[in-house]
Order: sequence, then structure tokens, then C-alpha cells
Amino acid sequence: MITREDIENIALLSKLYVPEEELDALTQEMQNIISFADTINNAAEDGTEFDNINNLSNAFREDEVVPSYSNEDILRNAPDSAQDHFLVKKRA
Amino acid sequence: MGTISRLSEMLASKQISCTELTKKYLEEIEKANKSLNAYVAVTEEQALQTAKVVDEKIAQGKKLSPLEGIPMTLKDNISTKGIETTCCSKILTGYKPIYNATVWDILKKQNAVLLGKTNMDEFAMGSSCETSCFGGATNPHNTEHCAGGSSGGVASAVGGNIAAYGLGSDTGGSIRQPASFCGIVGLKPTYGAVSRYGLIAYASSFDQIGPIATSVEDAALVYDAISLYDEKDSTSRGNVNGSTFDTLNNDIKGMKIGIAREYLDGVRDDVKNAILEAAKVYEGMGAEIVYFDLPALKYALPVYYILACAEASSNLGRYDGIRYGYKTEHYESIHEMMCKTRSEGFGKEVQRRILLGTYVLSAGYYDAYYKKAQNLRGAIVKAFDNAFESCDVILAPTVPMTAFKMGHAVSDPIETYLTDICTVPINIAGLPAVSIPCGFNANGMPIGMQLIGNKFKEAQILNAAYKYQQSQPDKFKATKWGVQL
Repeated sequence: MITREDIENIALLSKLYVPEEELDALTQEMQNIISFADTINNAAEDGTEFDNINNLSNAFREDEVVPSYSNEDILRNAPDSAQDHFLVKKRA
Repeated sequence: MGTISRLSEMLASKQISCTELTKKYLEEIEKANKSLNAYVAVTEEQALQTAKVVDEKIAQGKKLSPLEGIPMTLKDNISTKGIETTCCSKILTGYKPIYNATVWDILKKQNAVLLGKTNMDEFAMGSSCETSCFGGATNPHNTEHCAGGSSGGVASAVGGNIAAYGLGSDTGGSIRQPASFCGIVGLKPTYGAVSRYGLIAYASSFDQIGPIATSVEDAALVYDAISLYDEKDSTSRGNVNGSTFDTLNNDIKGMKIGIAREYLDGVRDDVKNAILEAAKVYEGMGAEIVYFDLPALKYALPVYYILACAEASSNLGRYDGIRYGYKTEHYESIHEMMCKTRSEGFGKEVQRRILLGTYVLSAGYYDAYYKKAQNLRGAIVKAFDNAFESCDVILAPTVPMTAFKMGHAVSDPIETYLTDICTVPINIAGLPAVSIPCGFNANGMPIGMQLIGNKFKEAQILNAAYKYQQSQPDKFKATKWGVQL
């Protein structure tokens, strides 16, 4: 059973604000979704392991220096930047 | 002959110049997009620039590659350098990537004419295109109905003949479902066949880019062009089995086409009948129909939603208001800035999936949900492996129903999730599947069927799809919209 407190906690972990007036409806909605997800607990465990789709192993390459993006390019989409850095508000 | 080949021939024989052709498409977009809402951005200037380059090549007597000069579109989650790429989310408004997705790099080098970026469910999360911050794309067969999702804009544009073809992405059915709803062809390739580099991630172990087109041969041409190994995607394999276009017309006599009984459960009668009719068509061509059971399918939907949301909650952690996209205006602390940015920037469905993903990954629930679902994913992979021991291709409905009316999908999340029942198992198992039209319901809305193959067997499913298309051309009915050839 999912509680309002659960939702508040998950929202905090997800860095999302849930307005007080939406909390009850969202709790109910999440409860419905989790009940639906719970059906997997009826499935028998057969011990099948899953790692990745095509049984890939890590692809290694030589560590070579290749051209990368300029600071200007990287900062191009930042809402705020200054002196070649991303800008965030100073903590009090 | 498919739309792409026909246009290519018209360009080569100078019946029309690439500039004229591009302008014709742009004019039709202007007219049709008010009703279809397929495009969220039109790239007229770039399109005409490319068209000019192609015209110069033609004037010099140079031979064009198959996709050269063909007007097309990209779903708005495929990165295009310098062109706004929003995933139809407020949180990415104004975002202009500084690099191209590999698929777009490949097509751009071939002088594909990009007409614009197309509508989608926000971050590809939805089945009707209506979670888009631009509102949903409508169905060219009847604009009171949705185009499907999440690649609804591409399907609406291609079905509405305001793009010759397009690229979409498919995480749980997002290419095949809208292709089915709009009466066209959509191919979800094997996981790893097409590079995901530059595709804005939803659920990385499920996402695949693929073509949406009006014919099987067009889908094959585009798939052959984009399925290259890419060192920038660590899961990339490329098309390991060579051209699919060259083998489209192979004889399918003796091909074993499997039907999983579970796939016909709970499917609406008109859809079920269309699938059984298609099976008869195949029998008539000398294929053998084999029935089998696939009980593991029962858990496919919850497994998909648990794993996809878990991956999404991690992938969407990057939207913090610092590096790109939307940022809230008033805040006191960094925590408040991030929370407000994300709550204001993400739509309700995206927030719901982030919350669900965070829940199933959190301490105390990880084993019961995430780990258990991973285990069942392995069981589903194994069940398909076993199925392909007794058949070459699996025939199944794409969606248990036809396109729903606009507004219908938004009301109940679980009811909407259930519509993905036929498509998600394919992403869970990383298999290729193509959706092609196989009939119309009483209201004239298209019905789609999937041909599912074993890994990297795109050639086989496209071969089977092409043979069906050749024998049933009336199922591939063009709509009244757009450029009429």
C-alpha cells in the first residue's frame, strides 16, 4: 500500500514538487500502477539471468586524445553562464 | 514502386527539380499541418539549401544515391545540430544540439532533405502523441482520431504525404503503433542494429531508431542506409546480415509463420479477423502457419513499465536547469531550483514515470520490482528464442484496437498502458518487428499487423511484409492529404 508519505519521499528523491492539492490523487494513481506492476510477483522465478540484449561485453579502445567540443559550444545551451562556467546561485 | 524510388526517378529524369519538389512538400505542410499538427518545426531554409545542392549534382549529370534529394522528417528526439530539438517537452524548449545524431549524420551526407521536426509524446512517453507540449498530432485517415504515439508526428506526416518518409524511435511500440494507426509501414530494428547516438534517451536498453514509410520497400531502403556500426554507441552492432532491399521479393514458399495464441487474446474482433485473414493470404503463398503458446507474454507489460520507468528516472536526472533547457525563475536554493525547474518543465505523464521508476529502484523495493522484472525479462527473451526454433517469423496484431479518438488516451494511464500489450514484448526481447497495414475497421480506420523476426533477421520480416503488400495493395491506401504522386 502506497501512502502519501511514500509519494512525498519518492518526489524528494526525484527532485519533483507535488502540490499539496494533487497529493491524494497522485497517491491513488501510483497505487493503481503499483498494483498493476505487482502482477509480476505471481510469476514463478526460473532463475533466468538477464544482463543485456546482445550479450555484449565492454568495448575498449585505445585512450587517444581526439578533438572535443569548445567551452563555447558546451555552454551554448546553458540558461546562465559566466566566464566559461555554468552559473548556479551561490548558496547562502 | 515505393514513394522514395518514384521520387528519385522523377529527380533523375528531370521531371521535377529537387527545389520544386521540396517547395511542393513545404506548401502542402503549410496547408495540412493546421489539421494534422504533425510538424513542430519546419526547416524551410535548410531544406531549400540541400535541394539546391542536389539540383547542382543533377545538372552536372552525377548519379544520385537512393535517398538523395528525398524530402523527409525526423522525430523531435533525434538530435539535429543547430536545429531546435525539444522532445516536445517544455524542459527542452530552445535547446539546439551542438552535434547530430549518427542517423542524421548518415542521411545528411546523402543529401536527404529535412523538412522539419515532428511531434511526439513528451520524451516518447505515451501512446497517442497527446502528452506533447504542442498538443497531439491527428490521424490523416480521420482527424478526430489520434495519430498514435509516441512517434505520432512522423506517422501523421508520412501518412498525410507531407514527408516521403521519416525516422521515429521505438521503446515500447512508438514506431509500430502510430504506423498501424495511420495505415503505413513502421520498422523497429533489432536492438543494436541502428545507432542510438544522439537519440535523446528514454529507456536506453529498449530504445531503437527506425523508419516510418508508406511502403515496405521504402522502409527497407532507409533501414539499409541507417543500420551502420557506430563507435559512439557502445551497444551498436550495425546490420550484420547485409541488404534487406535486395531480398524483398524472395519466394516465401515454405516459410514458417508462427502465431502465438496469447497474442490473439483480448484483441478486438475486427483486428483479430484481419490477422487471421492475413494468415490465409500467407498460406495461399505457400507459407506454413504454426500455432504455439507464449505464456511469458502475460508479464510483458508490467515488466516493461517497471524497467522502462526505472531507466527513464535515471536518464531524466540530467534535466537540472543548469546545462540546457528550461530553468525556473524564482528560487532560493539549488535544490529548490532543480525541483521547481523539473516540476514546471516536465508534463504529468513524464513525472508519473519518473516517480514510478524512482520507486522501483528505491531501497526496499528494488528486489521485488526491478530485480524481479529483470529476471522475467530474461525469461521472455528465452521464450522468444524457443519460439523461433519452430518458426521463422511471428505474425501478430500491432495494437489490439484501431486509433482512438483524440482525448481518449489521456484520461486513464493504465488503460493506455494496456494498449501497448502487443508491441512491448518485442522491445523486451530486443527483436526486430515491422508493422504493416492489413485492413480497415467498419469506420475506415486502418488495422495493422506485426511481423516479428529473430535478432538481425530484418531481411526475413521485410521479405514477408513485401510479399503481403504485393498481394494486398488495397490495404495500403493513401490519404487525401499532402503531395499526391
